[in-house]
Amino acid sequence: MDIKDSMARTLSSWMKVEGPNGDIVLGTRVRLARNVVGIPFPATAKKEQLRHLLDISEGLVSELSSVEKFTFLKMAEVDSLERQLLVEKHLISPSHIHNTSTKGLLLGENEDTSIMINEEDHFRIQVLFPGLQLESAWRKANKVDDVIEEKVDYAFDMERGFLTACPTNVGTAMRASVMVHLPALTRVNQLKRMLTTITQFGLVVRGLYGEGSESSGNIYQISNQVTLGHSEEEIIDHLQRITSQVLTGERKAREYLLESERRLQIEDMVHRSFGILTNARIITSKEAMSLLSDVRLGIDLGLIKDLDKDILKQLMVLIRQAHLQKFMGQNLPSEERDRLRAALIRGKLLNK
Amino acid sequence: MLCERCGEKQATVHMTQIDNHEKREVHLCQECAQHYDEFLPGFSINFDFSNMLASLFEQSNIWGKTSQPTVACSNCNQTLADIQRIGELGCSGCYETFKNEINPLLRRIHGSTRHVGKIPSTRYAKVKKQRQIEDLQKQLQEAIGVENYEKAAELRDEIRRLEKEL
Repeated sequence: MDIKDSMARTLSSWMKVEGPNGDIVLGTRVRLARNVVGIPFPATAKKEQLRHLLDISEGLVSELSSVEKFTFLKMAEVDSLERQLLVEKHLISPSHIHNTSTKGLLLGENEDTSIMINEEDHFRIQVLFPGLQLESAWRKANKVDDVIEEKVDYAFDMERGFLTACPTNVGTAMRASVMVHLPALTRVNQLKRMLTTITQFGLVVRGLYGEGSESSGNIYQISNQVTLGHSEEEIIDHLQRITSQVLTGERKAREYLLESERRLQIEDMVHRSFGILTNARIITSKEAMSLLSDVRLGIDLGLIKDLDKDILKQLMVLIRQAHLQKFMGQNLPSEERDRLRAALIRGKLLNK
Repeated sequence: MLCERCGEKQATVHMTQIDNHEKREVHLCQECAQHYDEFLPGFSINFDFSNMLASLFEQSNIWGKTSQPTVACSNCNQTLADIQRIGELGCSGCYETFKNEINPLLRRIHGSTRHVGKIPSTRYAKVKKQRQIEDLQKQLQEAIGVENYEKAAELRDEIRRLEKEL
C-alpha cells in the first residue's frame, strides 16, 4: 500500500460497513497505551530518544505483517491537510498533529487499526470497528500488542501493570469505547438522565471527538473510566452490558416516537430535515450534523426508504473541513465550505 | 478533571454549550449534571488535567511528609513540581520514585492499586505462570472444599505441569 493510496481513500472500512447493532452503535474503539522501558514519556524524553522510537516503529512494519499490512508514516512528512483528514477519520487524535517532528503513525491497510507513536505515550494502539464489536476489537488490539511486545521491552510492573504518562491510564492502559447515536432518547428528554446513570457505573460519556468535545448530531462516546484493578475482559464485559441497556432504552424511545399520537410529529420532523438537506444551498457542519441525525433516525424508523443507512456515518466525516478541502483540492474560505458542504449533501442524498 | 460546579467530584459528563454564538465546554460530575440547566449561564472555569493532578497530589498531603517537590527521579530528572506542572509523569521510573505520592493517587482514581489484566508474555512468562499457578491453587482449594475430587485431581496435575515449566 502506498502512503498516498491510504490517504486518498476517502472512507475507512468502519464507515462503510454497518456492524452489529449498527442501527444505534456507529462504531467500537479499543485503545491500548504502551511505553518502552528506559525511555522517558514523550513529554519529557529527548528528541533523539523519540526519534529512536520512530526508527524502531518503522522496523515493526515487517513484524506486523503477520496481522495485516501496515504503512509507517512520519507525521512531519504528512502535509497538514492530510493530517487533518486522519483526525477526521478518527485514525489519530487531534493532539497528534502538533509538534510533529517526533511523532509517527503505523496505519493498517483496512484503516481499522492505527498505532500512534510518541503521542502522550510511546505507543497508542487503536482498533476501530463498525457497530458494537468490543470483544473482536479487543482481540485485534491484543494481537497487535503481542507482536510489538516481542520486539520492544514494555514499561510494566506486576503491581501497577502497564505504566503510562498519565496515572489515569495505568494498569490495563486500555480505553474501550462505543460511539452511539441516540436521537430518540434525546427527543423524549431522557438522555440526560440516562447519561448520568451511566456515569454511576464507572463509565464516561463524551461528545464525538473525544475529551471535552461537543456532542454533535446526537452522537456520544461511552467509555471505561477505570483502568486499574479490572482485567481487560471485565472492563469490556461491563461496557458491553451497560451499552446493551442504552440500546434497549433508545429502541424503546424509538417505538414510543412511532406510536400513533406522535407518529405524525416525528414523520414531519424527519421529512423537514430531509427537505432542508436536499434543498439547502449553504449549511454549517453543526446544522448538517443535527439534520443528518434526524434523517438517519428516519431511515432507522422506516420513514425514509431507499437511502443507505451508513449515509450519516459517511457524511459526518465527509462534510468536515479537511475532507471538503481534499475534495476540492484547495484551501477554502468558510462560506465556500458551507456552500460546498450543502452541495455534497444534496448530491449524496439525491443520489446524483 | 473535577466537576466545574462543585469542584469536588470527578467530572464524568462533558458537553458543549452555545451561548450567544459562543461555544463553551462544560465538565460536570453526575450529580451536578442533573441540575445542568439551572446554573449554566456565567460559568467559565477551565479545569484541565494537570490542575486535577496537582489538586489530587495536594490532597494527599505530601509536602513535608515524604518527598520534597525538589526531589528528582533518578531516571528522568523530573521533580514532583515538574510533574504537577506538566500533568504527566516523566518516565516509568517515576512510579517507583514517587510511589508514596502516586499509590494513594492511583487508589483515588481507580479504587485499586493492583493490576489484574494482561501480562506481557515474552518478558514476564515466568511471573505470568506464577500467577496462573496461584489462580489454580485457589480453584484447587475450592474444589476440595466442595469435595469435587475429580476436578481437584485435574487441577493438581495442571499445577504440577506448570511448576515443571518454571
